[in-house]
Amino acid sequence: MKKRLFWGLVMSVFTALLLSGCSKNANNKKVTLELFSNKSEAVGTYQKLIKEFEQENPDIEVKLTTPPDAETVMKTRLTKNDIPDMFAMSGNGTFGELARAGVFADFSGNQNLEKVRPVYIDSLEKVVGPTKKGTYGIPYTPNANIVIYNKDRLKELNGTVPQTWNEFVALLKKAKAAKITPIYWTLNEPWTDQSPWNSLEANLVSQNFAKLENEGKTSFVKTHQKVAKKMLTLINYGHSDNFGKGYSDGNTAIGKGDSLFYFQGNWAIPEVLKATPKANIGVFPLPTSNVPGKTKLASAVDIVLTMSVKTKHEKEVKKFINFMMRKENAQTFIDDQLAFSTIKGVDQNNEILSGIKPYFADDRITAVMDSYYPQGMGTASLIQEFLQKKNTNAFLKKLDSEWAKTLDHQ
Amino acid sequence: MSRKNVFLVMTIPALLIFLVFHTFPAIQGIFYSFTNWHGYGDWQFVGFKNFINVFKDQQVLDSYLFTFKFAIVATILTNVLSLLIALGLNAKVKFQKTLRALYFIPYILGMLIISFIFSFIFSKVLPDIGQTLHIQWLSSNILGKTSTAWLGIVIVSVWQSTAFNTILYLSGLVTIPGELYEAAGLDGANSWTKFWRITFPMIMPFFTINMVLAMRTFLMAFDQIVALTGGGPGRATESISYVIYKGGFEGGQFAYQSANAVIYFIVIAAISIFQIKVLQKRGEQY
Repeated sequence: MKKRLFWGLVMSVFTALLLSGCSKNANNKKVTLELFSNKSEAVGTYQKLIKEFEQENPDIEVKLTTPPDAETVMKTRLTKNDIPDMFAMSGNGTFGELARAGVFADFSGNQNLEKVRPVYIDSLEKVVGPTKKGTYGIPYTPNANIVIYNKDRLKELNGTVPQTWNEFVALLKKAKAAKITPIYWTLNEPWTDQSPWNSLEANLVSQNFAKLENEGKTSFVKTHQKVAKKMLTLINYGHSDNFGKGYSDGNTAIGKGDSLFYFQGNWAIPEVLKATPKANIGVFPLPTSNVPGKTKLASAVDIVLTMSVKTKHEKEVKKFINFMMRKENAQTFIDDQLAFSTIKGVDQNNEILSGIKPYFADDRITAVMDSYYPQGMGTASLIQEFLQKKNTNAFLKKLDSEWAKTLDHQ
Repeated sequence: MSRKNVFLVMTIPALLIFLVFHTFPAIQGIFYSFTNWHGYGDWQFVGFKNFINVFKDQQVLDSYLFTFKFAIVATILTNVLSLLIALGLNAKVKFQKTLRALYFIPYILGMLIISFIFSFIFSKVLPDIGQTLHIQWLSSNILGKTSTAWLGIVIVSVWQSTAFNTILYLSGLVTIPGELYEAAGLDGANSWTKFWRITFPMIMPFFTINMVLAMRTFLMAFDQIVALTGGGPGRATESISYVIYKGGFEGGQFAYQSANAVIYFIVIAAISIFQIKVLQKRGEQY
């Protein structure tokens, strides 16, 4: 009995030594930084840039974490107090919520902010809200809610890129008459209904809406009638299985020319090209008004680079952020991702995106408002339900009551 | 060390692990349900506010309705199907062992994987078949319609869980002595009477445990919802567990959903106790 116990102990000590030997390389004092990203589309690009960065800084190692459903994973990790050193995340409501909870470091006065177009710094501060002063990250890329169109299909209809809402609807009618699917809806994944909603809302509703709604001074019922009405017009021009198809179906369909239009964001372009490398597509912002030139591009901060307030490697993280903010690296990033840059003088010259380039150049941009909504309201699901039931007033009332409820439950 | 003490020592690690990984988090959850904690950051006590809000929350009430509708239908279907399969497998059929192994496979596969496969079938394979054969209701994804999405979830859940219940029924059928059937046969009983008068009463305890287990599993439905519908369309297929998870981790309502979870725990415990009490009593009558 005793002998066995002895050997058991020896074995366990040995195993413990072996395991610790695996996890640490004693000779090498490398600093390991964890970069948490919510963009699975950008893994390749990040890895390319990280490799370059590691060659420049042999004493730093960057570990990229890109889990699916990243925001949820991040929150579950926060509940366990297991916080990554740096984040490359969406500048959305979750970012605002975490910034208010004091998770991120304040970058006010950081020299990188001088390179960034002020509109995005302003938008980021608005997401965080007035209760917490400061700039809790460096906006890196903006996104754009757009209509992707198939150029071949548009040509068949003898159409041109629509400048007004009426022109847009006329094209939808024309396509339907010609037996071409006008819009490829992918509502099996509710989040995809937010692209047209965001474009309409950002153009047709006051930017102060969220603030006033929080104070109880306005309501969806009062302000969103037009938005809801236009959504109902759009849902009439779908295909036979609007609620049965998902994001990847849509990306394939528009590239192959199965439909004329597809509501998405610029982030979908690389995915469309992955499915159909020779896709003949272009983009434009959904025209929301009947005055030509009045429509603005609905845009939000797509990636913000930020740092945990608790990281032990502040110096190294800032080194990495400085590296990412260099013009040539920002250019690599947006070329690879077909994105835009918040940095002045870094332009996206891809032919496909030429339809929205002037909007960035002339600052004809309006901020997407869903990042100001209370987190966890599930707006996308509510819109999805509305598009099935088509009950405008009940839907708008529900948005109001859910808004109040969500605020109350937090 | 005496024999008794050795056994006592053997239970201690399990007890510790149980306390650390089960009891402690459960108590923590109950504790946080009385606060306004987001999951991180500062918090304060709010008393019973969360509990009162749960009862006023239409989304929670809807999810209870959905979950019970789903659980009852799925429990009945699972038990009927698995009893039928078990009766078949218990009879002297060819390839009996192979068939038993085959029917057990769904249980080995994870619910999540099965759901993803079925999701593909629902969105691609079935609509294709429907379109070729011009069957209207089949030519679009059934998960995309509010009225039918829950059926898709029932199909997948029943398909997966029938395997385990079949095994339990099989083990029950094996315990019935053959003489009973022989005697009944001599008395002139047909197979129908044999089933209702002998087989079913004899496997009553297994029926009880199967009902309780199936009901409990389906009331906790989560994986299949995440993989098939994400609670949609709209909020039509949000199960209670799904609402707790989604609100708690995505919506920053950690404390509020903890309260929801505490209430739900009480509900499930009550149902399980009720089921065991009622079904056991019925079992004793025979």
